[in-house]
Amino acid sequence: MISCREVIEQLWDYLDGELAPERMEEIAAHLAECARCYPQYRFEFSFLEAFARHREKLPGPPQALVERLRLLIVT
Amino acid sequence: MKPVAEVSPTAFEQELLGAVSAVHRFALHLARDPVREKTYLRALAHREQYESGTDCRAWLFTICRNVFLKGEARAGREVATEDATLEAVAAAGLHAGLQGTDPLGAVFEQPELAEAVERALTKLPEEYRSVVVMVDLEDQSYAATAQVLGVALGTVRSRLFRARRLLQEDLLAFAEDAGLLERRKDGAR
Repeated sequence: MISCREVIEQLWDYLDGELAPERMEEIAAHLAECARCYPQYRFEFSFLEAFARHREKLPGPPQALVERLRLLIVT
Repeated sequence: MKPVAEVSPTAFEQELLGAVSAVHRFALHLARDPVREKTYLRALAHREQYESGTDCRAWLFTICRNVFLKGEARAGREVATEDATLEAVAAAGLHAGLQGTDPLGAVFEQPELAEAVERALTKLPEEYRSVVVMVDLEDQSYAATAQVLGVALGTVRSRLFRARRLLQEDLLAFAEDAGLLERRKDGAR
């Protein structure tokens, strides 16, 4: 089993899905059993979720801009 | 010239239009309105440089950032590469300070924090903001982000990890000031 230090050092990579599949599985298995690492995983996950929610609330492009671009593209 | 309604956009043009929202968000966090339009003008002028089948959004993000950097006369400026491992350890340190109050990050689910997220984002230096917008708002991989920003993959990691820690510090300070979170005992701010 990998160490807590290894998990913490790669936690962001894990949350971003940037690790090799075997490493992803190792960290998932560690988090499922480790009472020390799991809270930090949840903490960082909640933080990233706040950003995902924020993205949904951002204003879309103004319709006037979309129309200008459409005209620019098709003419 | 055919009326607009009779002209069918090509696949390339369809991709450009499909990426409008993503480019809008990216430009919004980099700079101002002219960047968006210049991005599209430049994309149309250099359409032959786009490789069909590749990620059109990433290509547009690259153009967008170059337009921004040119406008800001900041091209070529590079902050020192930090150590991503140290940043990951620092994140653990920040989390350790919350053991007695909010170890699971419930505060990030508070609706009152939504406004603070955008404010915290705009306070970040551009080098960090670009990375966090690419990865956390636009779901781009580290490799795609490195390519768009023209930096090494290790630089993306270290900037991203630092940016997230700075954002967390900012949001936690906001939450403490707003009474959403008990103030940390060590006074870490």
